[in-house]
Amino acid sequence: MRIKLTVNGLIYERDCIEHKTLLRFLREDLGLMGTKEGCGMGECGACTVIMNGRAVNSCMVLAVEADGASIRTIEGEAEGPSLSDIQRAFERNHAVQCGFCTAGMVMSVKELLAEHPKPSADQVKEAIEGNFCRCTGYTQIVEAVLDLTGSPEKKGELEHV
Amino acid sequence: MVYEFRYLAPRTAAELAAVLDGHKEDGKLLAGGTDLIPGIRNGVMKPKVVIDLKKYSGADRLSYGADGLSIGPAVTINDILRCKEARERYPVLCDCAHELASHQIRNRATVAGNVVNASPCSDMAPALLCLGAKATIRSATGERVVPFSQFFAGVKKTVLAPGEFVSCIMVPAEAAGARGRYLKLKRIAGHDLGIVGVLMTRRDGELRFAVSSAAPTPVLVDSVTEKDSADEAVRKVLAAVSPISDVRGTKEYREHMIGVYARRLFTEVE
Repeated sequence: MRIKLTVNGLIYERDCIEHKTLLRFLREDLGLMGTKEGCGMGECGACTVIMNGRAVNSCMVLAVEADGASIRTIEGEAEGPSLSDIQRAFERNHAVQCGFCTAGMVMSVKELLAEHPKPSADQVKEAIEGNFCRCTGYTQIVEAVLDLTGSPEKKGELEHV
Repeated sequence: MVYEFRYLAPRTAAELAAVLDGHKEDGKLLAGGTDLIPGIRNGVMKPKVVIDLKKYSGADRLSYGADGLSIGPAVTINDILRCKEARERYPVLCDCAHELASHQIRNRATVAGNVVNASPCSDMAPALLCLGAKATIRSATGERVVPFSQFFAGVKKTVLAPGEFVSCIMVPAEAAGARGRYLKLKRIAGHDLGIVGVLMTRRDGELRFAVSSAAPTPVLVDSVTEKDSADEAVRKVLAAVSPISDVRGTKEYREHMIGVYARRLFTEVE
């Protein structure tokens, strides 16, 4: 099936087999390898991208379903060598360890901040409840977001788990 | 996915009904895809034709009118949570929606898909049962309306016949303002399937309980009254359920926690 979609502001038109997921289409057909496959079943959130403004698990979306959609991936964050604000906050707060979950985390945070520019710690936790991180223990990730948005909940006040 | 299928995306409800009618045996409807796509990947589901219902005009309609809240088959869980009318008039619907899976899944998963799947652990079923919601079921030959109290037929089974689909879920206007709370027991604080879930609603002196993960289908209990003692209320709820032991919990643990939750709701929800 012929599909046409916008990814990070660029329009792509491609023939796509009907049983391919959006995740595989991004990685294999468009060469955008930043989005990762973890579980492939909607549990881990490593494959999170933003589709028409909403964070979704791209492993559970067919590429053909995304015909006409606007997609944002981690590749759309940095401009050249200049990281985005969210990426810089992650870097500043040591919110990245192995990095496998980071692309998905950043996308979930991006959707959250579009809707809630000053989220509470609980809102951040809820936004990333579908993103598994097996290294940092989440605290630095939540701190990175609160640092970026200047939340009154200060660093060190979060309960380390 | 290695497994191959055809993908069809009808543009009208009538076309969808006709396409589904032509693929009664080998077709499967795709709504949010959060169960179907992993199901295909795992080899549990093997449709030859996947029929996307999201692309027909009106499928994602969510509106409040004189009859109540009308939920189209492509309306997502987060659409409900973002809907002002739903939040103000049907707080328990939102309470249940909020407990369902993760934020990303709520952005894709649909209310209709959650009930059509007919999982015993459906989080939307308790709200739809307690609020007296009804499903409009459409096929190539017509329409029928079925209340959710008669919708579930067994584990992963509903009264839908091949060729039928849920074209609308109506939450009645008279259920607006029902107070209540959904208590869901999970293994972790984040997203998880329920070990048990108990919802109680109270409206105009009428009490209703609905329990998930406690029987082959979600269970509605409408026999509890204001005059009952807490012990009697718990006894009536427990008499209606028949939980099993599985990876998430034992039968005994489930029964115990259903009792704990039923008692808590009965004494705390005003």
